[in-house]
Amino acid sequence: MQMGHMPLPEALRAQLQQLVTTNAVLLFMKGNRSAPACGFSAQVIKILDEVVPDYETVNVLADPVLRDGIKEFSSWPTIPQLYIKGQFVGGCDIVKEMFASGELHKLVEGAVPPPSPPTITLTEGAASAIKAAASDVEGEVLRLEVSASFENELFFDVKKEGDFVVEVAGISILVDRATARRADGTTIDFVDGPKGAGFKIENPREPARVRSLSAKELARLLDAGEIAELYDVRPEVERKRASIARARPLDDEGLARLEGLPKDTPIVFQCHHGVRSRAAADEAIRAGFTRVYNLEGGIEAWSHDVDPTVPRY
Amino acid sequence: MSDHPTDFKGSINEAIASSIVGLIPDAKVEVSGGGGHFSIVVVSPVFAGKSTLESQRLVYGAITHLMKGDLAPVHAVDSLKTKVP
Repeated sequence: MQMGHMPLPEALRAQLQQLVTTNAVLLFMKGNRSAPACGFSAQVIKILDEVVPDYETVNVLADPVLRDGIKEFSSWPTIPQLYIKGQFVGGCDIVKEMFASGELHKLVEGAVPPPSPPTITLTEGAASAIKAAASDVEGEVLRLEVSASFENELFFDVKKEGDFVVEVAGISILVDRATARRADGTTIDFVDGPKGAGFKIENPREPARVRSLSAKELARLLDAGEIAELYDVRPEVERKRASIARARPLDDEGLARLEGLPKDTPIVFQCHHGVRSRAAADEAIRAGFTRVYNLEGGIEAWSHDVDPTVPRY
Repeated sequence: MSDHPTDFKGSINEAIASSIVGLIPDAKVEVSGGGGHFSIVVVSPVFAGKSTLESQRLVYGAITHLMKGDLAPVHAVDSLKTKVP
C-alpha cells in the first residue's frame, strides 16, 4: 500500500479517535454546514440535513494538520468523510449510494439516541409578551420550531402527536421532535428597540454564519467598544479615495493579524458596497471564526448614514 | 471541468491506471477526465465479497501518492466504480 508514508502522531490519532467516538454522526468537511466550501461536502450536507436532525461537522480547512491527519486516520485520501458511531462510512460517492438505497437511514437510526425535551429559557420580557399574546388565542399553545438551517419560528398552534411540551415560567411551549434535538439551550428574549418590538431567539447550537450590520449599528458597536476589528477588503487605490478611519486594510499585515485572533473575536468586513466584503466574511467563517459581520452597503452606506465627510465614489 | 495547477509531468490518466494495475495486477482500469478531476472504473475479481468502502479504499490506496499536496495531479475523483467481472 502507498498509504502511511507519513505516520500519524499518537496525540493526533487519539484526538481524532475521541472526535469520532464522542459524536454519533460526524462529518469531516471543507467549510461548515451553512457554508460548504466544496461541491462534494455540499452534497453530503444536503443528504445529512434530510436524514439526521443533528450532526456535527469538522472544518478541515481551518486546520491543515487535521486535514492531513484525517486522511491517514481513515486511510481515505479525500474530503468529505462521514463517521457514524465511530465507524468510517465513506466519502461523497458512498454516502450518496447509501442514501439512495436507504442504508444510511438505518445506520443513522441506530446511532442517534431518541430526542429528549429541550431546555428553553424565557426572559421576563418574553414571558410577559407571550402571556399578553396568549390571552387573545383560545385552545392553542405556543410552538417553537427550528428548521434544519436553524431558522426559528414562534407561533400559536395546536398540539400534535410526538410533540414535547416544555413548561417554562408558567408557559407551555410545543416542540416537535426534530426541533427538540436542535433547540436545547435556546433563550427567548423580547426586545423593544428602534426597529420595533419582537422576539429575539438565541440558540447556542446554531452554526456560525455571516451576520449583516448596518452602518449605524456598526458605528454604535465601534463606539461602545463591542467591536474592535474592522477590516477593509478593498485594494489600496480605492482605500486612498475614501476610508473609514477605524478600518484596517486587509493586506498582508491585516491578514497576519486576523490569523492570530481568537476564533470568537467579533470581526467586521467592509468594502465599497458590501459584496466583496461578504465573500471575505464567508471565508472567515470557513476559517473557523464564529462572530463574523458584513457591513451592508459598504463605505457608501457609512458615508450616507454615519460620516458624510467620507467621500463617495 | 475546472482547472487545478499541478507540477506533474506526463499523462495523469496513464499514471492512475498503471498505479492501480501495480497494486491489483488483474484489474481492468478505465480513466476519464482531466483538469484535476477524474472518473475511474476498475474491474477485478479482487472486489468479490468486499463492501464498496473496502473496494474503494483498495483503489484509493493505489493512487494516494497522486492525490497528496496542493499541486497533486489528481485533485478529485468525481466518480469511482469498482466492479467484479
